[in-house]
Order: sequence, then C-alpha cells, then structure tokens
Amino acid sequence: MEIFGIPAASLVQSFINGLALGWIYILIAMGLSLVFGTMRILQFAHGEVYMLGAYAVYDFVVLHGLPFLVAMPLCMATGLILGLILERFFFRPLGGEFLPTIMIALGVMIVLQAMVTVGFGVTPKSIPSFAPHAVEVLGIRLGSDRLIAVTVSIALILLLYLFLKRTKLGLALTAAAQHREASLLMGINPTHMSVAAMAIGSVMASVAGGLMGSIFPINPVMGGTALIKGLIIIILGGMGSLPGVVVGGLILGFIDGVAPVVSGAATAAIAPLFIVTIILVLRPQGLFGHE
Amino acid sequence: MIGGDLPILETVGLTKHFGGLVAVVDLCLSVGRKEIFGLIGPNGAGKSTILNLIAGSLRPKSGRVVFNGEDVTDFAAHSRAGRGIARVFQANTVFPDVSVATNVRVGFHLHSGIGFWETFFGRKSATEGREKLLYEKTMEILRLVGLYEERDLAATSLPHASQRRLCLAIALAAEPSLLLLDEPVTGMTAEEVTTMLSVIRALRDEKGIGCVLVEHNMRAVMNVCDRIAVVNYGEKIAEGSAAEISEDPAVIEAYLGAEEDAV
Amino acid sequence: MSRGRPVAWAKRFALAILIIILFCVPVFLRNDYWLFVFCLAWINVLLASSLRTIYRTGELSLGQVGFMLLGAYSSALLSMRLGIPVWLTMLIGGLFAAGVALLLSYPMLRTKGVYFSVLTFLVAEIFRLAMWYMPSLSGGPAGLSKIPPPGTINLFGITSITFATKSNYYYLLAVVVLLSLLALFRVERSLGFTWMAIRQNDDLAESVGINVKGYKLVAFVVGCFFAGIAGGLFAHFMHLLTTDVTAMFGMLTSIYVAIYMVAGGEARVAGPIVGAVVLTLAPEVARPLKEYQPIVFGALVIFIMFFMRQGIIALPYYLRLWWGRAVAGQGRRLGEGGTTR
Repeated sequence: MEIFGIPAASLVQSFINGLALGWIYILIAMGLSLVFGTMRILQFAHGEVYMLGAYAVYDFVVLHGLPFLVAMPLCMATGLILGLILERFFFRPLGGEFLPTIMIALGVMIVLQAMVTVGFGVTPKSIPSFAPHAVEVLGIRLGSDRLIAVTVSIALILLLYLFLKRTKLGLALTAAAQHREASLLMGINPTHMSVAAMAIGSVMASVAGGLMGSIFPINPVMGGTALIKGLIIIILGGMGSLPGVVVGGLILGFIDGVAPVVSGAATAAIAPLFIVTIILVLRPQGLFGHE
Repeated sequence: MIGGDLPILETVGLTKHFGGLVAVVDLCLSVGRKEIFGLIGPNGAGKSTILNLIAGSLRPKSGRVVFNGEDVTDFAAHSRAGRGIARVFQANTVFPDVSVATNVRVGFHLHSGIGFWETFFGRKSATEGREKLLYEKTMEILRLVGLYEERDLAATSLPHASQRRLCLAIALAAEPSLLLLDEPVTGMTAEEVTTMLSVIRALRDEKGIGCVLVEHNMRAVMNVCDRIAVVNYGEKIAEGSAAEISEDPAVIEAYLGAEEDAV
Repeated sequence: MSRGRPVAWAKRFALAILIIILFCVPVFLRNDYWLFVFCLAWINVLLASSLRTIYRTGELSLGQVGFMLLGAYSSALLSMRLGIPVWLTMLIGGLFAAGVALLLSYPMLRTKGVYFSVLTFLVAEIFRLAMWYMPSLSGGPAGLSKIPPPGTINLFGITSITFATKSNYYYLLAVVVLLSLLALFRVERSLGFTWMAIRQNDDLAESVGINVKGYKLVAFVVGCFFAGIAGGLFAHFMHLLTTDVTAMFGMLTSIYVAIYMVAGGEARVAGPIVGAVVLTLAPEVARPLKEYQPIVFGALVIFIMFFMRQGIIALPYYLRLWWGRAVAGQGRRLGEGGTTR
C-alpha cells in the first residue's frame, strides 16, 4: 500500500520515530512552559541545561563507567542543582525584568556552551546505547532505547501531572502560572514558585538530554536546536498550558517524523517554523493557552 | 437632549461577543453635545466593553458608532482620537518614566501643528517656536486640573488621585469634543471626588466638552450627570435623569439582584 | 530646553576629533587581521544601531540577522549574476530588506513584547533555512563565493581606488556607516519623542491619536533597511556567504547583535556603537585564550547586566558610583537600580 508514493509501512515507521523523539522534546518544552508560565521569562539557557544533562550522562557512563541506572539519577541531580543555581543567583536578583533577564540567560548560555567545549571538545560524542536491541511490532522496528526513552518521558510527564494536580505545591504552581496577580493575593510566595518551576523544569530538561544522548551523538551546540523545538512546542500548544505542550509536542513529532519522508528536508525544517509564525500572529496564545 | 440638535455620539445596535459570551447587546445610545452622560450598571454589565467599542479598541460584531454625524465604526482608535474622542482609562495609565509635563505634552501629538514631513525637513527655529507654544498650552492644562505645581515630578510619584487628574490632563491635550471617562473618581476620598467632579463640570461649562462617564460611585453619578443610562448583562435597561432612573423598578432589581453595593 | 552654546560646540569638536582618529586607523594599524576586526566592528555598529531604532518603540527584534541576510544575498547575487555595480546592489539590498520588512510588518506588528521577539527570531531562521535549501541561489553548503568588491573608482584620471584591500574597504565602511548613523540620528530626532510615548504606554499613545502601528512600522522598516545595508557591506567585504547554522546568519549572531545594543546601553544613541565596538574587539583581545574566549565574553555580558545595567556607555556614572561607595565604606550588593525601559 502506498501513500504519496511512499510505502505505508515506512510512513508509519517514520511517524513512530518522530513521535518517539517528540516525547523527549515534550520533556524539554514542559520545563520551558512551566518556567515561562510561573516566572514570565523565556529561559534561553534551558537548552544548555538539556545539553549538560546529556554530557553528564556521557561523563558518568563513558568516562567513569557507571551503569545507566546510576547515571540517570545523577543526571537529574545535576539538572536540579543547575536549575537552583540559575534561579537563585541569576534570575532572582533581576526581578523578572524583560531585557536584563534575556541578556543574562543568553550570557549563561554562551558560558555553558563554552565550558562544555573546553571540557569535552567540539567533536560529537556517543554514549553507548543502554538497550541496543530492537523490537518488531506489526512490521515496524522500534529501537528498544527509543521505547524506553518514550516510556521514561511519559512516566515523568504523568508524575508531573499528578504533582500539579494533587500536591499543595503543585496546585500553587498551577495557580501562579494561570493567574499571577490572583495567586499573589492568595498568599502564594512567588519566590517559592520560581524555585519550584526552575527545579522541575531543569530536572526534566537534563533527563531529556540524557535520554537523547543515549540515542544520538551529542555535541556542545545541541542546546540551540532543543531550545527552538521547545519554543515551537510551547507556542503551538500555548505558553503556560501543560496539556498544550503534549499536543504541540506530538504535532511537532509528527511533522519531524513524516515530513522529511513525504516532502523532503526543506519542508521538514521550515514547515514547523512557518506554522508557528502564523500562530504567533493569529492566535498568540496557541491552541490551549490563555492570555 | 441638552445642548444642540445633533447628538455628538450615537451608537446604533451595537453588539459584541467574546467567543460564546455575549458582552453587549443591541446598544443604542445618544449623547448630546456638552452633556455629561452617565453609564452605570452592576459589575460585569459590559460598561468597559461599551467604552472600548466607542473608543475603537474593540470592533463590534454588528452595529455602528456615529461620532459628530460621521460613522466611525471602521476607524482605528487613533483615528477616532483624531476626530475628537479622548479617553481616560480605568487604571492609572500614564507614561511612567517621564515628568507630568511631558505626559501632557504627548497628548498634544495631533495638535502640535508639526506635520510628519515637517519633523524631517522643517527648520529648527520653526519647531522651536511651536514647542514653546505647546509648552504654554501644557501649563494651561496643568493649571486647569490643578497639577501645575507637580509639573516636573515623575508621573509615577504622584498619589492616586493626582494621577487620575494627570490622565484627564493628557486626554484634554488631545483637544477632544467628547471625553470617555472610565471610573474617574474610583479610589478617591470624598474631597478628591468633589474636586474631580467640579473639574468635569467646568470642562462642560467653560470648554463645551461633554463626556460619557462610567462610574460605580452612585452619589458622584447622581450628582454630576445630566442623563444616565443603566446597563445590565450588556443591555440597556433604563435611561433618563438621575431621579428617573433611581425610581425605575428594573434598575432597582438589577442592582439588588446582583447584590451589588450601590454606594 | 537647549543647552548653552559652548557645551554644544565642545561636543561637536570632540566628535570631529573622534571621526578623524577613526579615519586614521588604517594608517596606524599595519596588521591586516586587526584591520579585518575593525571592519567587522563597523558592520556590527550599524547592525546594533539598526536594532536600537526598532527598540525605541519598545519591541526587541531578535531577527536583524535575517534582514542582513536578505541584503547580503540580494546585493551579492545582483552584482555577480547581473553585473550591476556594487554601489547600486548594496543600496538595492537595503531596499529589498526594507521591502520585505514592509510586507511582513502587517502581520508581525500585530504581535507585541516577547511574542514579537520570538517571532522575529523565527522569521530570521526561516530566511536562513529557505536560503539553505535553495542552493542555486545560496551556493549550498560551500556557500556563495567570489563575491566581488565594489568597483574601482577613477578619480579624475589621477588615481584610482580599488576596494580589494582591507584599508580601502575600511574607509568605505567608515563613510557608509557614519552616513547611516547620521540618517538614523536624524530620524530619531524627529520621531524619537513619539516612539518614547509608544514604548512607555502604547494604549495611552493610541488614545491621544498616535498611530501606533504606523510609527512602529517606520521604525521597523528603517531598522531593517540598515540591517540590509549592513548585509551588503558584509557580503562584498567577506567575498563569501554561507547559511550554515553555526555561521554568520545563524541564531547566535542575532543574539550577539542584541547583546551589543543592550550591553552598550540602549538608552543613548552612542550605546550600541560603544557596545558593538567593545564587544567586537574584546573577544579578539581575548583570542589567545582560544576556547575560553566565549566564557570571557559571556561572563562580561553577565557582569554588565548585574552591575552596569545602563550599559558600557554609562561607565563614567558607574565609576563615580563605585568610587562613592568605596569611599563611604559600603559593601557591594548584587543588582542595581536604574532605568528599566
């Protein structure tokens, strides 16, 4: 069976591959959305947290020979510490002002990228896969590493959902993201919210980096692409809306997976950006956002 | 109707929806020249939306806005301002980082007599001459609203009531024939309210500038308005003098029904 | 209110001296590499100043690089494929960039604040990708090479000036950029007041009759015009253009241009100029540090944002401030008050 002149099986294969990547991007975008919703800043250094997560796993697994099951929690810890440092020493003193915050985030981005280049070099590095085999279902090959990555991502997102809906801190965070003034009036401490948002967001980003690094080679500039993907997703889904992030991520994953096969690399690269610019103009709140 | 045959402002069948929410329904208003026209209603009745529709920051789903006999429904907000509708926003909206005098000076944008091309090719002496004239006009307006002493202070350093008067001054600089006042005396003490109301009356009597006034302060409204329209759920439910509408059963019900504190 | 006459003339005198010094640079700078860096500094000055023009209305464009790309490629291709003199193609490049900005302004100026910034960022990236995927125009991964320098000028048959040498191109850059800055200054003098009102409160500005969209449009188109001119200057200087993601028209450059403006100090006209010069030359001074160099650059940016919020141009103010504090014996605290917009 053929669709657009391409065998259906390989179309589905591409679709699945794209979706698998999409879940990792959703992890990144979740953090970005949480931070934007709560702190009202675009955390430009978020991509570098992701990148550092990848390099952390590389360091633990390849340079220190630790097993993945140990490396991943360590990677999360790295992300957590980085997020807390950024919030406390770089973002909090600025009080959320638009221009200085962007500049500081950019400065941090440049420094982190350079530090990794100094420490690890600019050539791409590979982390040996933690699950080198593949599974075949209905004629579709699925790398086990991707399967596990998707599972971990979905698990984390579900955890985040439960956290936001069931715990006191989580509810406060949701309230702060949805209506800043009202939440302040209700006595929610904005500093605590910022810390929580940065902590959670950075942990998710570094895990995403670790997962991605296990599938693809890593390099010091991978953060930039991740940031763009994250931006696309949160604009698609709506800044500050978490279900929107999932939908946006799946849409992007779909385009990323299928478009190169159906219409070539050019469309695959430009189409998401183009769609997002249209959304920014016509409906800046995205599909699910509220502004 | 007071003050002339042709109303300065008319809305004809004005309707506005926000998605599924109906905010304004078939609103017909007629405001005469030199008239202080009150617009009241319970919270959420659509009063601010109506002002937005008149000013041009919102476009209606249907209906027309006619100003000075001209249909301005399709005109942008700045064009309407150019035709003589000036607006004072609900919150204190000023230019935060400049002085009181500069705030008012911005209001003179349209009437500065300095055209677009002249700013590029005009001679410096001509511009300087006009700037002097505008400076004098600025001082005149500041004196009118009672902010002359504070002319060099930063706009945001003024107390609330003074900022309100500054907003009025900025609107006056645009040389309007009609003012749209969104809660002009909210948050003021009784004394400040009296001052503001006398300024509004003076504008009508001495300058011939009428206004459409949205307010929650009932005593102020009854005190100063020539006519009042009452809206509820986006519909006009009563119109008339202060005495008339305070006895109107529909009005009383709307306020009691909404459990509104009508003071 | 106008200042006293003597002060105004002193300032003009100082400016004249500065310009004379700038024109003497190639004479004293025998090192070709540093001349190259100074030339890049001129181009960055124009880029940062074009950004500032747009930012006067309160909108931060993170996509100047995209319009620079339009100007660069149109100028290069027109001169290479159609043989049009470079003088003309550079101008056309600027006009092309301005034209595209005009076309896009209707949708783009409907957005504000962070949305506008993200939008400009993405639009620049779309331009780059579109070029990347049109190898017939952009030369593919190898790029567009052998872009000619401006034609030789014959001076009354006495002597001719070629622009193949860096020092002659330096003079060209100096003249074009200075003229551009003059034009930008002139525009700002006329429209700056209204732009300030729009930036501080655009709803209020609209309500007193200011055509906010119109004024933003002028700022945007003018800013993109000069970004396009900068692109043309760049193309015929480097003789090579690539659309590789890590190269000249990538996201990082947009960010650098914004950094030049903000770190230099966006409140004053001279701010982006100082920022561009300092931050183009500083990394070169730090070049011996090799891979550590961006760390120094990034750290410098962070330092400026924390301790010198008003920018490098306000250095005299900060020096006095710190001296005053040191004398008074007070400790330093993180963060700094200052104008926020």
